[in-house]
Amino acid sequence: MTATPPAAGRGVRATRALLVVFGIALIGLGGYVLTETVSPTRYGGLLVWLLGSVIVHDAIIAPLVVVAALAVRRTGRRIPGVVVALVQSAVVVGVVMTMIVVPEIVAQAKGPKNDTVLPFDYAGRLSVMWLVIVVLTALAAVAYLVRTRRQKSRESTDQV
Amino acid sequence: MRSLLFTLRLAASSPTRNARTATVLGRLLGIAFVVCLLTGLYSHFLQEPAEWMRFPTRPVWLYQVSQGVHITAGIACIPLLLGKLHAVFPQLFQYPPVRHPVQVLERASIAVFIATSVLQLVTGLLNTFQYYPWPFPFRQVHFALSFVIIGSLAIHIAVKLPLITRYWRARDSYDADGVFVEPHGALDPARAEFAATRELATRRRAEEARVAESTGTAPPRPRGIVGRIVHWIDTAHEGDDEPRNARVSRRGFFGAIGVATGGAVVLTAGQSFTAFEPFNAFAPRQRGIGPNDLPINRTAAAARVLESAMAPGWALTVSNGDRSRSFSADDLRAMTQNEGALPISCVEGWSQTGLWRGVRLVDLMASVGAPPERRLRFTSLEERGGYRVMLMGPEFATDPATLIALELNGERLSIDHGYPARVIAPGRPGVLQTKWLTTIEVL
Repeated sequence: MTATPPAAGRGVRATRALLVVFGIALIGLGGYVLTETVSPTRYGGLLVWLLGSVIVHDAIIAPLVVVAALAVRRTGRRIPGVVVALVQSAVVVGVVMTMIVVPEIVAQAKGPKNDTVLPFDYAGRLSVMWLVIVVLTALAAVAYLVRTRRQKSRESTDQV
Repeated sequence: MRSLLFTLRLAASSPTRNARTATVLGRLLGIAFVVCLLTGLYSHFLQEPAEWMRFPTRPVWLYQVSQGVHITAGIACIPLLLGKLHAVFPQLFQYPPVRHPVQVLERASIAVFIATSVLQLVTGLLNTFQYYPWPFPFRQVHFALSFVIIGSLAIHIAVKLPLITRYWRARDSYDADGVFVEPHGALDPARAEFAATRELATRRRAEEARVAESTGTAPPRPRGIVGRIVHWIDTAHEGDDEPRNARVSRRGFFGAIGVATGGAVVLTAGQSFTAFEPFNAFAPRQRGIGPNDLPINRTAAAARVLESAMAPGWALTVSNGDRSRSFSADDLRAMTQNEGALPISCVEGWSQTGLWRGVRLVDLMASVGAPPERRLRFTSLEERGGYRVMLMGPEFATDPATLIALELNGERLSIDHGYPARVIAPGRPGVLQTKWLTTIEVL
């Protein structure tokens, strides 16, 4: 390992410069459009929501994921890694879908503008979705365990 | 400070959180963001065109597809963005927080990027079901933020370009065992230092364990709260770096993001695309429901036109300068009726093709001798509302498919769909298909 940084070619440097200039110009344009179209009395609320977005992710969602992942790793040590990964993936899928559907449930509870907006029983459908995820994950895990057990027993008889 | 950030970074590190993962998801997210920007701009300019702008009127489903793609790509961004943020989360705890002054700008641009993209996806998603719990106007902010997002994305790509090119291809990113190849120290000093510190700690522990074993004493137990927490995290991470475990957790991660993205798309895209209609479980709209078997955005009650639209003396006034004619509902029905299948395509992503029947706009305008190259101004019976007055460019005004519709799907136009008469033109947003018409003027 040498300590020299990889030589940045002229092309790379030019691309970077171009992107930075383009980026700053677009941010400027966005700021200009904002000041032209949105009343200054709304800036405070917008800022709160922008900061809130970062805080909700970085200080709540992400740390929860970290702690949950660590806890799963410690408690799931005796479980095969593939099964742990399966369960984790299933939870991720379920949680992401839930994050998308829950606002619909809230809006529905508040009363949609008319009957053709949010026409489904979203809470019921979400429950069904979780049930489907649990069943599919269980089936996949069992299929994996059965297969590896068979492989192991075959290997041991081969060795005898 | 250093050990706190190190501990946080240690807790957050995992085989899936690396520059290759960030590159793969970043590429997809970048594409989706640009698609959203372009389709969004198209929709914006259709609604607020500059004087010289002309738009294609064919295929008639152009706007339906472009806006369906806008919303669907936006929904796909939700799992992708969460995955991307997951991949780079440990970077939040880099030490030192800033290595050189320019890095202040870099980290600030990332903060701007994250804040604006998260908010953009949240407001965009909630707008699809007309839910606005925030204290600012949706449309203007969604439009302005789109430039800020793409701008900060460009800066972000510029900053990360060496890392992106380094991990662009899978074969350069993983070794023969499928383990992530750590970046060169110069590429990512913070990560390199973190990796080195971690390596040292692992070696020290191994050495302590060896000594303990050879002397027959127990290895030193972690001391203090921080020590115990670090120990707890360390033991949770045991085996992470084994190639098999690293591969499994990586596949699990990409599998989860892939299935979540696919699920979010498949289970909601049925509001915009016929192919996905059978799987429409979670979209805020379902095709085929509502009066005339078609959903509505703004009802007659909300627009406060229940009385004026039902008034027996209603007439549509068409004027070209001082030439003006009034058409009662019977007059319109007595004219040549034309039928056409045109989609009503909402800015909020849902769309549905309806069978419309009514008078061709060109026929109506010919009755007052309107010249073809002029814009038209349509006014609704609505007393207030952002879309009460609508301007139509000549490309739509002269298109033979553009109708003043009196019927929809084989029935008289429902009052919620614009009775007595509404306009329906090919390739335009639903908000511009003005309902409850009262006047059409040549400009």
